[in-house]
Amino acid sequence: MTINILSLLIWTPIISGLLILFYNKKVNILNAYNIFINFIVFLLSVFLLISFNENLSDFQFVENIKWIPSLNIHYYLGVDAISTLLILLNTIIFLIVSIYNSTLSLKKTNQYYASFLIANGLTIGVFCALDAILFYIFFEALLIPMFLIIGIWGGSNRIYASIKFFIYTFLGSVLLLVSFLYINSSISSFNVTSFYDANFSLVEQEWLFIAMAIAFAIKIPMFPFHTWLPDAHVEAPTSGSVVLAAILLKVGAYGFIRFVLPVVPLGAMSLDIYFIILSLIAIVYVGIIAITQNDMKKLIAYSSISHMGFVTLGFFIIFQLFDNTSSKEDLVISLSGSMYQIISHGFISAALFICVGSIYDRYKTKKISDLSGLLNQMPVYSWYFVFFALANCGLPGTSSFVGELLIIMSAFKASFTYAFLASGTLIISAVYSLWLVKRVIYGEVKINLDENLDANTIEKFLLLTLALIVLILGIYPDYIMSFMNTTLQHITENIIIKL
Amino acid sequence: MITQNITTSLINFIPEIILFTMSMVILLIGTSKSLKKYVFHFTVLSVVLAFIASVIYFPNNSLLLFNSSIIKNNITEFFKYICYFIFFIQIVVSKEYLNRKKLISGEFYSLLIFALLGCFIIISANNLIVLFLGIELSSLSLYSLIALNRSSFLSSEAAIKYFVLSIIASAIILFGFSYLYGITSTINILDIATFSSDREISNLYLFSYVLIFIGVAFKFAVAPFHMWLPDVYEGALLPITNFIASIPKIAFFVFAYRFLDENPIINNDNFSKLILSLGIFSIFIGNLFALAQKKIMRMLAYSGVANAGFIFLALFSATEYNFSIAAFYVASYAITAVSAISIITFMSSKNFDVVYIYDLKGMSSRSGYIAVLLMITLLSTAGIPLTIGFYAKYLVLDALVGSGLISVAVIVVLMTVVGLYYYLRVIWFMFFESGCNSLVNTNGRFSLFVLSLIPLSILLIFLFPDSIFSYIFKILA
Repeated sequence: MTINILSLLIWTPIISGLLILFYNKKVNILNAYNIFINFIVFLLSVFLLISFNENLSDFQFVENIKWIPSLNIHYYLGVDAISTLLILLNTIIFLIVSIYNSTLSLKKTNQYYASFLIANGLTIGVFCALDAILFYIFFEALLIPMFLIIGIWGGSNRIYASIKFFIYTFLGSVLLLVSFLYINSSISSFNVTSFYDANFSLVEQEWLFIAMAIAFAIKIPMFPFHTWLPDAHVEAPTSGSVVLAAILLKVGAYGFIRFVLPVVPLGAMSLDIYFIILSLIAIVYVGIIAITQNDMKKLIAYSSISHMGFVTLGFFIIFQLFDNTSSKEDLVISLSGSMYQIISHGFISAALFICVGSIYDRYKTKKISDLSGLLNQMPVYSWYFVFFALANCGLPGTSSFVGELLIIMSAFKASFTYAFLASGTLIISAVYSLWLVKRVIYGEVKINLDENLDANTIEKFLLLTLALIVLILGIYPDYIMSFMNTTLQHITENIIIKL
Repeated sequence: MITQNITTSLINFIPEIILFTMSMVILLIGTSKSLKKYVFHFTVLSVVLAFIASVIYFPNNSLLLFNSSIIKNNITEFFKYICYFIFFIQIVVSKEYLNRKKLISGEFYSLLIFALLGCFIIISANNLIVLFLGIELSSLSLYSLIALNRSSFLSSEAAIKYFVLSIIASAIILFGFSYLYGITSTINILDIATFSSDREISNLYLFSYVLIFIGVAFKFAVAPFHMWLPDVYEGALLPITNFIASIPKIAFFVFAYRFLDENPIINNDNFSKLILSLGIFSIFIGNLFALAQKKIMRMLAYSGVANAGFIFLALFSATEYNFSIAAFYVASYAITAVSAISIITFMSSKNFDVVYIYDLKGMSSRSGYIAVLLMITLLSTAGIPLTIGFYAKYLVLDALVGSGLISVAVIVVLMTVVGLYYYLRVIWFMFFESGCNSLVNTNGRFSLFVLSLIPLSILLIFLFPDSIFSYIFKILA
């Protein structure tokens, strides 16, 4: 008997999330249940990672059932190294969020946990769906729990933020649906692998590229489609921000590497310069915007956009590299840089949002100008805050250094200008991160609260875990690099073959 | 197609005969003081009896009854079953509401059954005269039903508007029929199709079809023929709006199908362009006007206009595919519309009428279950995955892309993004706003159970849609 591990990963949290809706009595039981389910899902994903054979380039753990034969839609699941890593990132973040949530007191606790559990399952579905329509369904359905999380448990301007989030993302995804339908109308299949084999003319590829790239560019988000993100982050509850930054942005990046680059490489190649420019604008200009923010969550949101600029730069620089050198290894390095940046940013942004959320819980403000001298009142917290701020600006030894280094190296091979502009932001990110630390952590105490404000055991545990992950990823990147290598080689071959 | 003699015709017509007799009986009971309280039970009984009869006399192959003026096959029966289901939910849910309005009476229910019967006759008519009789039977019953709420100024306005515009629509349809009869010299719709299949389409023939489909556009409320719909939705009593929003749409879809199926007019360039442009225009008008509405029924009305536009696009796509896409769209739209209006009826059944969208403020803290039901329904109307509305929109888009009209598909999806806003607004009032309206009704176990049938089936059909798709594709192939 074979165990359909991917289906288990998807449906365990979704079904448990639906079940929890019917129980709303003791918060302790809800907490335990929530953590337990997330832990089970985490164990399943660890099992997936262990049993995954990274030397094979094909999709593994494939489940292919005819779901709607009359529409040619399959329930087709499978993972390669990228999806395995992203699923693991997803389950770790959701486990951390579920533990963090147990420290909060909320209204409608069971619905809150249910939204997160369902979001967890749907995100795993996004990462392992290999049928375009199945992917689309998970991609869209994921909006509903996030919409409710921001709208019900968010801050004062939550309605505006949640509606903007939903409509913005929906706008992108309907274009995605039309492009999937177009591809299906010419190859009569929604199967991702047959998408890779399909050949379109340059004009078709350009239009398909524009439609799909807008969808994922909104999700990542790229400049100028980024305006929903700061609003959503500021208004979302802390755990919502964590999931948004650590997981949802990665869905956009995953879409690029799964659906855009290998399916329409010619279109991407002919329009890559625009996307490189937009990525550089995101890195430099959005970084400068981040400096001027007075709201900590907004600052981290803009810094996320800026870091995602590196990811898209790594994606689109490969076409310039192909023009310059035609060496496959260079392309693979650039893509692995982007993937590493995705994973690293997932942990660092999650940690930063947890820090900011805890500061907000204690001081009831996220404004930088209201806070000062936190070091005196919460030393342990401040230590972690400084650590993650440094990690955020790419300190060597932390995980974000690896990804940024690889991307900048690739950018140098492509063009000095790109590399110059991209590496310039290492200074910008240092400016906003360190200035944030300087204003919030150091200085005179502004708000004097008498209670013991420092991190409690659970928070210490969570931050320590995240810090260890960031350090391990920064010091020993080779495990993940070699894990991804075969898959990325395979994707690169798929891209090159069509150029 | 087998033409049947009068005995088999009558036997196969038993469900309709039951409905007719029972509506007379209900009218009679309504006049008696002691039996008056049973009119509701008799209505339920008559629907159940008619449904059982139509299950018993399910035709194994296509039957032509009464000298080929009535057609009975699995298509007509499929749509009639949907109508029975919808009608059952409507009358069960609206009982408390009507009780409050003191409108439970013999004439109300017998008129409602007459309207249903009229729609059934439209569904199964194969003869221009019978078809027109069906249209008039349902329309006349609906005029009087809308006007029944005599104390309300809005109801009278709605009744007059519906009456005048609907009469004009009927007149235009009849005008088209007369031309069609003049050209083909037959009133049998199947013969009209065979008549035109081996001839070139003359301008006059096209003209008669344009007239007929303008009439259909009136009945579907496709823009620019939609002016009556918002006022009727707002003015008529909720149970009647519920009827108007769903069952006539199904009936007129079958009407359109009857006239277009195997008829070369559908490949006529001018005619299909007319259908396409009406559809696109309607999607624009419906979605844009719905954005500005504060009253929930007017919003649903404009959303109905937008959906009618989609139905026309689906009819357009039948040129290259078949009518299954349109059939699925109509069925899924009718079911979701009924669900939405039934939930509003249920909420209005004690003390208070839900009129404005902000009346739903804080519904989720008062009754999360009802709020979730309404959310599922609205998301289905918006076409978000996890609901059947997604497949409906998906199929239309697929057909548009498949026939090379990608620009139309892009315009249409962008308009659905606009449309999403007003559905989300209802959801945000229910879930995100605090403070709740304690006058909104949330009690009634049986009604709640009946109300949950549609949202649950919306979700279940999303997960396992294939049997339904293959059935619709099979019968309409």
